[in-house]
Amino acid sequence: MTIIRNHSDTHFQYQSQYQPSQGNAMHDGGSSDIDELLQDNPALWRGCDMAGQGTTGRSTGFTQLDAILPGRGWPEKGLMEVVTPHWGMGELQLLIPLMRSVVEQGKWILWISPPYLLYAPALVQAGINTEQVLVVKLDTSCKDALWSMEKALQTENCGLVLAWQNWLPTKVLRRLQLAADTGDTLGVLFKHHDSEHSPSPIRLKIGDSYSENAGFNESEVTVIKARGNFRSLSANINLYQQA
Amino acid sequence: MKDPDSEAQLPLPSLARESGAQVIKLPASPNTVTANRPTANKASRRTPARRIRPNKLWYALFLPQLTNLAPSQQKKYLNQLAGHIQSVSSNVSFHPQALACEVRSGLKYFGGIDTIHQKLKKLLEEQLRQWDLDDNFLYAASPTISGSLLLARSGHNALVYRKENLRSALGQLPTDVLHLDREQGRRLHNMGVRYLRDIWRLPSDGVRKRFGSKFVDQLDKALGKAPEPTCNYVPPPAFITSYDLPYELENLDRVLPIVDELLAQLCDFLRRRDLSTSHLILSLLHEKRDSTAVSIGLRQASRSQQHLMLLLETHFSQLSIPAPIIAIKIEVIKFDSFIAESNSLLKEAVPRLSRRNDNSLVQFMEQLQARLGNNHIKFVRSVAQHCPEHASAQLDYNDESNQRNSIGKVKKVSNNPRPLWLLQDPVLLHINKGRLFYRKPIAILSGPERIETHWWSGADVCRDYYVARESSGSRLWIYQEKGSVKKWYLHGIFA
Repeated sequence: MTIIRNHSDTHFQYQSQYQPSQGNAMHDGGSSDIDELLQDNPALWRGCDMAGQGTTGRSTGFTQLDAILPGRGWPEKGLMEVVTPHWGMGELQLLIPLMRSVVEQGKWILWISPPYLLYAPALVQAGINTEQVLVVKLDTSCKDALWSMEKALQTENCGLVLAWQNWLPTKVLRRLQLAADTGDTLGVLFKHHDSEHSPSPIRLKIGDSYSENAGFNESEVTVIKARGNFRSLSANINLYQQA
Repeated sequence: MKDPDSEAQLPLPSLARESGAQVIKLPASPNTVTANRPTANKASRRTPARRIRPNKLWYALFLPQLTNLAPSQQKKYLNQLAGHIQSVSSNVSFHPQALACEVRSGLKYFGGIDTIHQKLKKLLEEQLRQWDLDDNFLYAASPTISGSLLLARSGHNALVYRKENLRSALGQLPTDVLHLDREQGRRLHNMGVRYLRDIWRLPSDGVRKRFGSKFVDQLDKALGKAPEPTCNYVPPPAFITSYDLPYELENLDRVLPIVDELLAQLCDFLRRRDLSTSHLILSLLHEKRDSTAVSIGLRQASRSQQHLMLLLETHFSQLSIPAPIIAIKIEVIKFDSFIAESNSLLKEAVPRLSRRNDNSLVQFMEQLQARLGNNHIKFVRSVAQHCPEHASAQLDYNDESNQRNSIGKVKKVSNNPRPLWLLQDPVLLHINKGRLFYRKPIAILSGPERIETHWWSGADVCRDYYVARESSGSRLWIYQEKGSVKKWYLHGIFA
């Protein structure tokens, strides 16, 4: 994999955290070929900050979040980790636009051992067809759950695999990552604790905001790591837009 | 009882003449026929001796107790009975509430019609008793199917061996056996016709003109004057194959190549008959122990060796065997007709979610089910119910298709906010310093939404639902009981 460094546009982008930077305007004429390459190939990115650049991603449905993600959205495939201090911090609301687009594509969403009962009327309200939703029950053993996750990631008909697993060894993560790559599927792992050395290409954290006057509806979403971002960026997002 | 035909093996003059007349006359000139095809003449001379086979003997069973059942039920019962009758005859024909089987070919083997009757009687009475039906049935045997059916229907239990005697036997039957409609019956009665022989005395073209050709044809068939179409029983396909291992095996991985071989046989069998299977059982036999059975149910019938193999491998990965394996057996429980799919001519024209994709999804789910077991995979469906805990249903993988129709598709749900996650049992919330408290203090955002239902049953539900926010940021769905004790509960998380 080639990392192409372009030093011409490194300075300005870090200044604004939440705005998509207008860095493209800074490019020299000579780098247009490089731009083209970067546009076409998701495996190729600038070694510097890619937040809010390119169009390879799938829109998250939240403009503030798109702005801090490389490729302006969720990756098409791969493994994603969402870290919350406890379940129910808005992590599903964050993914609802993604789920909707997956269902519209005619693909399935597999929920592997969610901690609570999945409530169908809420899915219908969110515009997600319940016929394309399949749940693997909570009391499934960890081994079986991981097995199903790997199989589901390998299957092209599953557009999104959501799994609740707290701690997974690097080897397993790597395996899931490979499975996701073969099936062109996005896998999401929900966890309580962030591990710094996780190989997943993208890690998000939904913040635990104690201050009560800091925006009643807003949650802080931090992109701890994303392939193409050099440092963690965060945005305040109103996750309950529909509510 | 002796077969009278066995003594009269000599060709009868009338039949000999008939068969002589059956020689095909070619349109070419007679000279060329004799010159070019000398064998034709010889053959025609030989035919009379060969053609005179003992004519057929049809044993008919009439089951009047089936009359009141639904047609589909009748068909099912007759089909099963036909399966029993197969033990005496390979040629079983279906008729309304009746079955006919050809027994001439087996007379010598079974030693007479009486033995055959006793044998069938035992089998059928047992079966009829199992179904809680009257175990009596009417029977008769004669050289024609229609003749036997008429005799059986009249309750005569007659036995007629020779075609010549058929006319006199049938002639005694009253006209009721023909199942005429009321108008025709009345007209025949008014004409003084009481028995079948009376009909034969009438000019046949006149009868045809007045009464239509239906029952006249029936009588012709009964006398053997007209050909009788049969509706034959086709035994259902069955597939059982087994393989004895040359030595005992303990490792399931070693068994896989043999299973693969057996599956190849199975798929070949299915392909030749244009079938597929949706349920099969693989048994691993052990010495002096019960065999281990692996039952494979498929949601979508398949005959793909690869797919079946994949499922078996998945099953094997979960399986532990109590003893070494000495033999392997595969039995198909349920056959289905094969539904082929057509590929599109142009690759671009394939829609995103083509049927083929759907198949691979179903195969994936079957694999999941094979590994996890049936009750670990759930479908969620919303149900048109006011009560929150009943508004969402979790269906087992197998029940899903059954219940899809009964539940129906609920497109309309309440406009009020509903959480994505529901707690199985509501959690009691405490009140701490005047504020609701779960993990952290809770502030109410919106509400109330009153849900009052199930007052007709004992479990009265009367709650005020609120959307609340925990100070950590998570959004909760809480309710307060409306009753004497106004307790607060957490019921869902918006997540």
